[in-house]
Amino acid sequence: MSATTAAAVGLARRRANYARRYWVFAVPAAVVVVAVIIFPWLFTVFMSLHEWDPSHGLSWVGLSNYATLLSDTRFGWAVLRTLYFSVLSVGAPLILGVAAAVCFNQRFPLRGVARTIFILPMMATPVAIALVWSMMFHPQLGVLNYILTSLGLPPSTWTYAANTVIPTLAMVETWQWTPLVMLIVLGGLASLPQDPYEAARIDGASGWQSFRHITLPLLWPFIIVAAVIRTIDALKSFDVIYVITQGGPGTASETMNIFLYQEAFAYYKLGYASAVTLVFFALIVVISLVMLKLRQREKWQ
Amino acid sequence: MSAAVTRGRGTRPGRLRRLAGRVGLYASVLVLISPAAFVFLWMLSLALKNEVDNMAFPPVFIPHGPTFANFVKVFAENDFLSYTINSVVVSFSATAAALVIGVPAGYGIAKAKAMRAAALILIARITPGLSFIIPLFLMFQWFGMLGTLTPLVITHLVITVPLVVWIMIGFFEGLPGELEEAALVDGATIWQAFRHVALPLARPGITVATILAFIFSWNNFLFGIVLAGRTTRTLPVAVYNVLTFEQISWGPLAAAALVVTAPVLLLTLLMQKEIVAGLTAGGVKGG
Amino acid sequence: MIRRRTILQGSAGLLAMPAIVSRANAASSFDWKQFKGQHIEVSLTKNPRSDVLQKHQKEFEAMTGISVGSEQIPEQQQRPKAALEMASGHPSFDVLMVSLHVSKRLFGSAHWLEDMRPYLANPQLTAPDYDFADIGAGAVKTATQADGRMDSLPLNPDLWIIFWNKAIFKAAGLAYPSSMDELLTTARHLTDKKTGTYGFVGRGLKNANLPVYTSWLLGQDQLTVTPDGKKLLTDTPEAIWAADFYAKTMRECAPPGSIGFNWNECQTSFAQGKIGMWLDGVGFSAPLIDPKASKIVHDVGFAVVPKGPKAQHSASFVDSMGIPASSKKKGAAYLYCQWATSKKIMGEILRTGSGTPARLSVYTDPNVVKDNKFGKEWLQAVMDSQKISAPGLPEIIPVTEFRDTFGVALTNMISGADPAKEMKRATAEFQPILDKSNAG
Repeated sequence: MSATTAAAVGLARRRANYARRYWVFAVPAAVVVVAVIIFPWLFTVFMSLHEWDPSHGLSWVGLSNYATLLSDTRFGWAVLRTLYFSVLSVGAPLILGVAAAVCFNQRFPLRGVARTIFILPMMATPVAIALVWSMMFHPQLGVLNYILTSLGLPPSTWTYAANTVIPTLAMVETWQWTPLVMLIVLGGLASLPQDPYEAARIDGASGWQSFRHITLPLLWPFIIVAAVIRTIDALKSFDVIYVITQGGPGTASETMNIFLYQEAFAYYKLGYASAVTLVFFALIVVISLVMLKLRQREKWQ
Repeated sequence: MSAAVTRGRGTRPGRLRRLAGRVGLYASVLVLISPAAFVFLWMLSLALKNEVDNMAFPPVFIPHGPTFANFVKVFAENDFLSYTINSVVVSFSATAAALVIGVPAGYGIAKAKAMRAAALILIARITPGLSFIIPLFLMFQWFGMLGTLTPLVITHLVITVPLVVWIMIGFFEGLPGELEEAALVDGATIWQAFRHVALPLARPGITVATILAFIFSWNNFLFGIVLAGRTTRTLPVAVYNVLTFEQISWGPLAAAALVVTAPVLLLTLLMQKEIVAGLTAGGVKGG
Repeated sequence: MIRRRTILQGSAGLLAMPAIVSRANAASSFDWKQFKGQHIEVSLTKNPRSDVLQKHQKEFEAMTGISVGSEQIPEQQQRPKAALEMASGHPSFDVLMVSLHVSKRLFGSAHWLEDMRPYLANPQLTAPDYDFADIGAGAVKTATQADGRMDSLPLNPDLWIIFWNKAIFKAAGLAYPSSMDELLTTARHLTDKKTGTYGFVGRGLKNANLPVYTSWLLGQDQLTVTPDGKKLLTDTPEAIWAADFYAKTMRECAPPGSIGFNWNECQTSFAQGKIGMWLDGVGFSAPLIDPKASKIVHDVGFAVVPKGPKAQHSASFVDSMGIPASSKKKGAAYLYCQWATSKKIMGEILRTGSGTPARLSVYTDPNVVKDNKFGKEWLQAVMDSQKISAPGLPEIIPVTEFRDTFGVALTNMISGADPAKEMKRATAEFQPILDKSNAG
């Protein structure tokens, strides 16, 4: 969450006193993390070097799972699809989230109520809202196509065609997670200094100009943080896709996480699935690091 | 207060421009909140209509004579009461445990600047949830814990602990250190400084951490699929199971969805100030 | 194996001791109370058969004194969960409803389930009126593994039939087709995109769509894999004809978006009265004659899948009841399986339209047939389909991958890809997976 921001900032502030002794406070959490997280990690690494089948059990295969991965076109498509889905479902929430934050930063009657309604999607149970969306997407009986046709627009195939399924799922993801971006950026807006605006006003700058040349650059670090969080979540997105399409039609919405689920729980290829997990994880780490580096550079400038 | 509001006050064209700005703002807010409002209202509408109205095209928007039959059906055909109890027990326990170990950890990490430890916890946030399922399943079986709620509570710690630690790191870093330092100079132990000085000050942070940990634990679907059995099923898994009745059932499905998500929606409505303040406060220090 | 069985029989004998008193009144009758006081867990898949089992569960508990905890889970969730639990040796259930069309070979090769034959042969465990011979030979064959073990008791072959809307046919002045070719021309006639009427609907969703395809392929009297399970037959001219047929019906005659349809979307569309014909499992009949869910209660017809160029078959998918080899309460679990596949329960399944059970006698049982709410036409379609039933999916271990690979090919065809090319590509892609599974 947005607290990541604060945590990262802790890096910058240095106060060495008592540092060692404070470690004790983190011990219980460390123990739990090691127990609940490290064991599965070791297991996954171990399994990724093996093959499992129900009649023969485990057999050592070395790195062959990884080799298979390299030539598996279905996996390759899943990676590309994941990236496509992620670009849409990071980009759209960022733009809308910044716009929403600018709106909600102003005072107007019923602001609290409006803001609450706006953040409901990110709090709602994903499975529940995914079910409601899937009912709205029905090509013949769904309410969305009714709305489109009443507005004089052609009906869409939503999640029922290969070329519209990813944008549609990204739309649900955007609907769900724009509020998070809004909240992070809202925090940024609250911390902005007033002086540059005064100066701009005296210089006769328009609202858009001061937004473009003052607000946006100052907000940049917050936007990057929101982008990193959003990217991690978009790459990992599972519940909504699983419930609405299970990767279909065909494999048109089979992202890496859905692919992983299929390999492990439909085909029982536990070894291969473990290799997929590790590569998937590495991909998320690399992408997040690149984005954080971007942020560092921004900060220095 | 942002620049847009303060700009151009007083002159006539300025007033006009300001009026246009207000109208534009209201229109934007309306556009922003209507998708959210629509989905939840449509969910309510589906849940309150009979099957014929739900299947009607053009759709029926306002139920004529709302029916609670869908809710009755869902509760009659599924053991939703016990699933609700399971969900409550799991989410409360996972949240409570996360607070007990996560708040001090957040404090320790914030004070010690132990960002490596924080990175370790970040790994939990990045790891695909699916990869936990099989190893944890085997581990719980080894310990003979399957069939109870304990495995679910422990697994939910994967969600709640990192969340609480992250939020608390942010809060403790934002607190002025002077008070604690004064206490330490007066001879208090670091535990006492934490317990009596830092902890009371961090109450708003703890509130947010509690709410968010609870909500995200409540919403979890993935772990329940494999780790929960007949008597330990949680609500999100149960609602997904309603989907596969071999008949058309949009009404009961929407009703089930509403039952699952209503508690978190209500919690959000009641605690919106704390949630917004908490989440934005975390961001404030990000600059 | 042998040792386990001896122990089981021994303990069964011991447990039977106190029951002797209650048996005294009916000396010759079977002792249903021999496992009194035990508790078993039953894992069912979500379907109408399971509804019947759960509805009558109390009767089983009263009859046997065994307490039962049962649950229904969607098949896609139950399958991996059951496999994971059995593979790790401690299943949380004592009875499992098995989808043989997916799990047969996997469970068989792993020896996860108990062989039922010794139980059936044991008069102490099997009631004299059970009458195993009454269960259809086709279903028994499906439940029997290649090595002769029968590791589950067949419950219900789900037969694929055509649901058709008589009102639409009447309005167009057409009759129910007598062949597959005629089905296509009829469907084309009925399709009128302006009024939103479509001649045909079938599953287009990847994986779920395979039975639709195999239904057409069976019309060529061909299966998807050679009988030894080693070589794919999915690139033969017959297989390509069936793919082409699938593509034509779905592309030209089905509503838009059918590429993402599973049974429930098909059912929703069909029940709205805008579809001429729908090919799917007979188990989906009940909502169609329920006025609360259907607009075509009086117009729905049930018919056998028309004959293809070479043969007429009905694709079938068998569910059965099995006991994990690692269960500790096999005796009680067996009594449950026996009860679930008894004449009484199967009769109830047929009477309520919850399925088309494997026992032949229920179809002629006047009590069952007289009350049948679906009417004569439905019963006739079921009996006729029963006679021409054939497996709808290949009996191989990687069935799910098979369904996914060819399912994707089929959805591609709906979107316009060339059937011959797609089938050849999918065959080339899947043959190595099949080889690997056969070698392993």
